Amino acid sequence: MATASALLKLDAAAGFDDVSYEEKARLFDEVRADLRYPEYLYGCYECGICVAACPSARFYDFSPRRIAQAAAREDVELVYQQMQEDIWECSQCFSCLRCPRGNNPGGVITIMREVAVNNGLASARQALEGYSRIIYKIMSTGTQVSPDMLQPDAFPDWGPEVKDVSDNLALWRKALPPETLHTTSTGWDVDPRTLTELYVIWFETGALEMIKEVDEGLYTILEEIMEERLEEEGITP
Amino acid sequence: MSSERIVVIGGGPAGLEAAHCVAELGVPVSLVERSPALGGTPISENYAALTPNFESAEVAMGRMIDRVVEEPGVDVRLESEVTDMDGEAGSFRLTVATGGAETVVEAGAVIVATGFQHFDPGRETQMYGYYEYPDVIALQDLEAMLKVHDVVRPSNGKPPERICFVQCVGSRDRRIGNEYCSKVCCGVASKEAIEVRQQLPDCKVFIFYIDMRMYGYWENEIYWPAQEQYHVQYVKGIITEVLQKGDKLLVRGEDTTMGRPMEVPMDMVVLSVGMEPSQGTRTVAKTLGIEQNKYGFIAASAPPLDTVSTSRPGIFACGAALGPADLEDTVSSAAAAAAKAVRLVRRRRVAVAAS
Repeated sequence: MATASALLKLDAAAGFDDVSYEEKARLFDEVRADLRYPEYLYGCYECGICVAACPSARFYDFSPRRIAQAAAREDVELVYQQMQEDIWECSQCFSCLRCPRGNNPGGVITIMREVAVNNGLASARQALEGYSRIIYKIMSTGTQVSPDMLQPDAFPDWGPEVKDVSDNLALWRKALPPETLHTTSTGWDVDPRTLTELYVIWFETGALEMIKEVDEGLYTILEEIMEERLEEEGITP
Repeated sequence: MSSERIVVIGGGPAGLEAAHCVAELGVPVSLVERSPALGGTPISENYAALTPNFESAEVAMGRMIDRVVEEPGVDVRLESEVTDMDGEAGSFRLTVATGGAETVVEAGAVIVATGFQHFDPGRETQMYGYYEYPDVIALQDLEAMLKVHDVVRPSNGKPPERICFVQCVGSRDRRIGNEYCSKVCCGVASKEAIEVRQQLPDCKVFIFYIDMRMYGYWENEIYWPAQEQYHVQYVKGIITEVLQKGDKLLVRGEDTTMGRPMEVPMDMVVLSVGMEPSQGTRTVAKTLGIEQNKYGFIAASAPPLDTVSTSRPGIFACGAALGPADLEDTVSSAAAAAAKAVRLVRRRRVAVAAS
């Protein structure tokens, strides 16, 4: 039986499991160990210029200042909380770069996101859930949104025209002047050599490995597709 | 009878600089110092390193002292006080008491360099338990520890793991009556914070503040390095009280920029006490009959463009006798006072020769 005190834990109420202080400290150390970190965070005046410039701050309870502050103050608990929540509310537009101290809160968030993904944090899984189709498309084809993804059932607000277009999608695409755009399942026609190179990049940079922590199923599918092609090309990843 | 001599009262940074400047300009000078030694507050209060350049206070003040005592035109009178004065600009007569003996010194002008004293956190109320908890100390107490590289908790003699500074103690406070900013405490606290981190690298250091006032180059000489290289934690929010909890001190305040209350355990709390007019400044102002401002500092008569003339012609003031001042301002105003005093006695000499 779950005890009342366990249910009342603030972190659990916020939607993620609490972990030990040591684990939080380890994650923060991983953030700070990033080569970019010293150039992304100097010291914080707590002046709020980054918040004033931040579009996300207008719509969410999100503050790039608090990100910089928590990291500068070495507040392990708060940094962890932010990795489970706040960092996914940033649109990575880097308006916060106008910091007078030369800080880059958006860049700190980039690092925090990478650490969250690499460590399979619940927030990373949740944040990327809605993107599995796009991740699949990008990593398997090298193009992002394909015409056949833009179906009327997904976008009812697009009006009646979109149905007509999707019914005759291949024909409409043929009407486009550049031949490379005569595609429906990819954004454009991807050169086989480009695709092979991309797959090598996904393997070599660890980008594919990152997916493993947040979406095991997607990782397995992608790995299979990539290995098959690379095998055909005689490349062992 | 008119005199060319200039009397400087006070042998701290301001008085030493003024006396040296006057002597260098070829005018005889008497330096009157109440205590048995020159050097002023940086020496008597055991300052470790000076703000902002971290030079040893003893070395830097020693250099100033040597320059003065080696100057043949300077008559240094230690353990001496000015007890009375009459006359007017150009022909003052000052009574100087040394031990039991009184002498009269004739002077054309007087420079007051009687400085400040640290605000006493027990002056009116027992602020933050300064006299209650041994681990609550003030800036100058920590200076003395830093000077001998022995920063330990007075309660148990062990090095602290967490230290915090509380800014604006006795400054910017309507209830206490010191409404002014003491100017130097932000820089001094940050300098001491850096020294603590240098001497005790495992000790966490926090500074609780209302506004950080790190003028001019102090910004990147002290503030930025404290934050960026020494990871001193600056938290905007002033501590309301210090409580004992076990063998720790609990400081209570608000982390204003994070918008949350805080109760943080500390091993030592350092009160960043501000400046008040020294007893010497108060006494000398009365003896010489010069106006003081509402805080007891000597009032400059024509600020902001004349910072050293007082309400009485022929009497100039400099350094922290005029109000809170850092060392840079102190020696600058001392040189300005010396220039004005020398100009006054020289003009009178020309006038006397022509008549």
